[in-house]
Amino acid sequence: MFYQRWFKQRWILVVIGLAIADTVLSIWIGQQSYRWVPPQASAESILVDDLFCLMTTVGSLIFFGVVGTLVYSMIFQRSPKYDTSDGPPIEGNLKLEVIWTVIPSIVIVGIAFASYQTYDRMEILGDIGPKSLGMATANAAPMTAEVVKTDPIEVRARQWAWEFYYPEQAVSSTELHLPVNQRANLKLTSEDVLHGFFVPAFRIKQDIIPGREIDFEFTPIREGRYRVRDSDYSGTYFAANQSTVVVESAAAYQDWLAMAAAQSPTPAQNRAYREFQRSRENPNSQGWATVEPAAPPVVNYASSDEESYE
Amino acid sequence: MSNASLEALQPSLQPQPGAPDNWKRFFTFSTDHKVIGIQYIVTAFVFFLFAGLLAMVMRGELLTPEADLVDRTVYNGLFTMHGTLMLFMWTFPMLNGLANYLVPLMIGARDMAFPRLNAAAFWLVPVFGVILTASFFIPGGPSQSGWWAYPPVSLQNPTGNLINGQSMWILAVALSGISSIMGAVNIVTTIFRMRAPGMGWFKMPVFCWTVLAAQLIQLFGLPALTAGAVMLLFDLTVGTSFFNPELGGDPVLYQHFFWFYSHPAVYVIILPIFGVFSEIFPVYSRKPLFGYPVVAVSSLVITGLSGIVWVHHMFASGTPGWMRMLFMFSTMTISVPTGIKVFAWVATVWGGKIRLNTPMLFALGGLIMWVFAGITGIMLASAPFDIHVNNTYFVVGHFHYVIYGAVVMGFYAAIYHWFPKMTGRMYYEGLGKLHFVLTFIGANLNFFPMHPAGLMGMPRRVASYDPEFAFWNVLASLGGFLLGVSTLPFLLNMLSSWARGPEAGDNPWRAIGLEWMVSSPPPHENFDEIPVVVSRPYGYGSDEPLVANASEKE
Amino acid sequence: MAMAATNRWLQTHLRRSDPVSTTNVDQSLEVATVHAGEHEEEDNRMFGFIVFLLSESVIFLSFFVGYIVYKLSSAEWYPAGFEGLEVREPLINTIVLVSSSFVIYFAERFLHKENLWGFRIFWLLTMAMGSFFLFGQAVEWLHLPFGFKDGLFGGTFYLLTGFHGLHVLTGVLLQGVMLGRSFIPNNYAGGEYGVNATSIFWHFVDVIWIILFILIYVWR
Repeated sequence: MFYQRWFKQRWILVVIGLAIADTVLSIWIGQQSYRWVPPQASAESILVDDLFCLMTTVGSLIFFGVVGTLVYSMIFQRSPKYDTSDGPPIEGNLKLEVIWTVIPSIVIVGIAFASYQTYDRMEILGDIGPKSLGMATANAAPMTAEVVKTDPIEVRARQWAWEFYYPEQAVSSTELHLPVNQRANLKLTSEDVLHGFFVPAFRIKQDIIPGREIDFEFTPIREGRYRVRDSDYSGTYFAANQSTVVVESAAAYQDWLAMAAAQSPTPAQNRAYREFQRSRENPNSQGWATVEPAAPPVVNYASSDEESYE
Repeated sequence: MSNASLEALQPSLQPQPGAPDNWKRFFTFSTDHKVIGIQYIVTAFVFFLFAGLLAMVMRGELLTPEADLVDRTVYNGLFTMHGTLMLFMWTFPMLNGLANYLVPLMIGARDMAFPRLNAAAFWLVPVFGVILTASFFIPGGPSQSGWWAYPPVSLQNPTGNLINGQSMWILAVALSGISSIMGAVNIVTTIFRMRAPGMGWFKMPVFCWTVLAAQLIQLFGLPALTAGAVMLLFDLTVGTSFFNPELGGDPVLYQHFFWFYSHPAVYVIILPIFGVFSEIFPVYSRKPLFGYPVVAVSSLVITGLSGIVWVHHMFASGTPGWMRMLFMFSTMTISVPTGIKVFAWVATVWGGKIRLNTPMLFALGGLIMWVFAGITGIMLASAPFDIHVNNTYFVVGHFHYVIYGAVVMGFYAAIYHWFPKMTGRMYYEGLGKLHFVLTFIGANLNFFPMHPAGLMGMPRRVASYDPEFAFWNVLASLGGFLLGVSTLPFLLNMLSSWARGPEAGDNPWRAIGLEWMVSSPPPHENFDEIPVVVSRPYGYGSDEPLVANASEKE
Repeated sequence: MAMAATNRWLQTHLRRSDPVSTTNVDQSLEVATVHAGEHEEEDNRMFGFIVFLLSESVIFLSFFVGYIVYKLSSAEWYPAGFEGLEVREPLINTIVLVSSSFVIYFAERFLHKENLWGFRIFWLLTMAMGSFFLFGQAVEWLHLPFGFKDGLFGGTFYLLTGFHGLHVLTGVLLQGVMLGRSFIPNNYAGGEYGVNATSIFWHFVDVIWIILFILIYVWR
């Protein structure tokens, strides 16, 4: 009698101990998750990383719980070789089934709510509809105190080059320069097919839809050079369609704008165009027919695509 | 009917469908559901190997950051055809094969409701398989727009020919849709109307539930893809403006049409595998399926929910914020019925008398990989996080854990489990276990490194990448080659066992189910006398008999 | 030894062998759908056909959704210089097609009462009305000032009416086959699955047309 109760209690203790171990392990893995992503270079990235940490922690808890149970069964509950008997005919347990319906539901609602809040605080996306619908959703006047807004930087995507145009200074560039700690406003347009504006260090991404102008915004918070990648498959030279975003102090940013404005437009280097010309000259080219890349953009500031980034 | 009853009078003249001595049957327009089932599975597996080879060339290209092994156009054609073939030529036909073979046997029917329609649906598969394969050899090569075929890239047609990779792709997908609808009508009718006496809904094996749930998705989802494909074909060939932004069309509408079907399509693929898990765990744990009615019904709940989640593929596309939030919530709800199933399987295994035969190993391995995929799936459902990893290798890793980790492993589990029934022969356990080890290691080595690469920001569908991703890509490539190798012991095992394996007997696993009560391979028309079902399935550990018929089989 | 154990196990787990208990079983039957006779098979085909039609309706639904989205979002909906569709003739067409649904119903009733000539006359009338609709549609197409490639309206208009017209044509052809089969002696003595299915298909085509008419001609 006593032994039975002791045995039962010991089981409860073991289960509690394992649950604590699972929790500790999961929290540790959750903390590791910050190291799996690029440096946090935008305000949005902090929000997204916190959310990712939360989901990694909860996910690890579930994963190790479920897999641990399975592995325990596989190791310790094996049938002896010549034992043909059956296990206990347990067909279900209402209480248990209710528990594993209700608790995951609550967890899911929690994650969904956290995600909603994160998305709400990011506020990256402006008007997205087709051009003709734009009028219906445009706000009459900005609600915030900051009435004077700079014109958004135009991001022009094409097969296969990025071109960034600063309308106030009439500066064009193949490299995106942004001042640190200021809200960056972009207007995303595409001249041909779908592209995607993706800066991993900022944790932001937006498909660019030909025929639409998409307002997009975020806040860089860390100086440095980061990669801009085309994220929505855009044809033959899709993988080569990359550029650099440079985040710098407000002063350096203004200097750069002034310097670029003073330069006369020159054709930039363009990897897709270069590769295409090379393959056209090569008689042994093994490729199939492709859409011709657009000529390299003619810009005030042309970066070399070999330049480094973080 | 008159034909069939004549045949039934002379059962001895009917060759057994699975026996090795009448392989010629598999090359005829047979209307026997068991022949058609095996035809489907074998055809699908051939294309699985072919599309796997394409993937290995891709992994070869990705060994190094530069685009050096194949031309970029070739790489783009490879990943497009890899995805297309794997979905339309491997998963759908393979699962239709399993459903074809097992459903009539499991519900106690002599055949499918429409045997000739069944054969016609199957024989369309090689037709569009050949069309897809042939597109490699036409000027301009196969479609290079990805298996989504998003316009405007899919409309660009650099060759200018009417017959190009993209138009052949659309033709093949349309034929696949027709074949799938024919199959779905047949399977749904069979399950609704041909169950043996006594087999009420809650005496039906879960595999049949999941097949029903999956085929219902085909019925409501595929037509949307067909509609989108028809409009895309007109844009491409006639020059209409539906999805062409230059002419005022809307490319995002295509994405809605596409994903309205193609997200539920992954449930078409995974649901029958849930069914396989639900059949296998009780047999090798010697315990009833835990919470059978809930597991059964949750399949239909998933079917219902799958119709309202498609926009989660478009969180970074031309979708407004409210739509992203709405579909984020709807997507997350799907994890609840899925979670119920996972917990029910764990509870089924728990405390059982477990036997780690090859089918059980594959099912357990598949379940573990599925749990991982489910967790990354919830992460991807979260819109703000998805915006970071959308269209990166994180997504590629996630769905390969689903499609390879759960579906292909589940398929292997099913094949090993029902191989003795299909052929009357036993496979070699040692080779089976070797196959499992290679597959499990290969799959994880191939697909796990894709997650960190994606988190770091490596886009999917790239022929070249920045050097920072090289480490993970080398690992993934090694895993990919290992997966290629892993199919060899399987092929060896299947071929040699089918030809010369030891006799298996009617029920080598001591499993409970109507299919295990007939001979192996089952006779033509399956049952001499239709069984009368009196119990729930999975009556392990209890003494309740499954059927009431007094007569013995032979 | 293992074989013997297996057999014993099978005895207890799979098959109840004492005949007494089967009587209990018969009372507990939930469904009895075996021994597929002629009638059973016809019912299966009808069930399958209705499932197919439900699935088919989703294609139309998708086209309708496409039409609505395009119409709501495009700036210039009609091709330049085009004011809108003429409604009068299509309305006559609509009335003819919708009435044919009632005519085909009477044809079916006649067949049910085994009045073959009544069936044939009304069936032929349905075919005539369907053909009239197709003819009217063709005339309309020929006189329209825009083509398939003229913008989103042109594209969706021809897509919807064309796809529907294809269904009407299929319906008329099916009706022709059924009419021909009515001359085979005793062909419709047992069941008349083909006739019933054609009739359901015809009602389906009508309902689709009503939605289509409202969307394209009535909704401005």
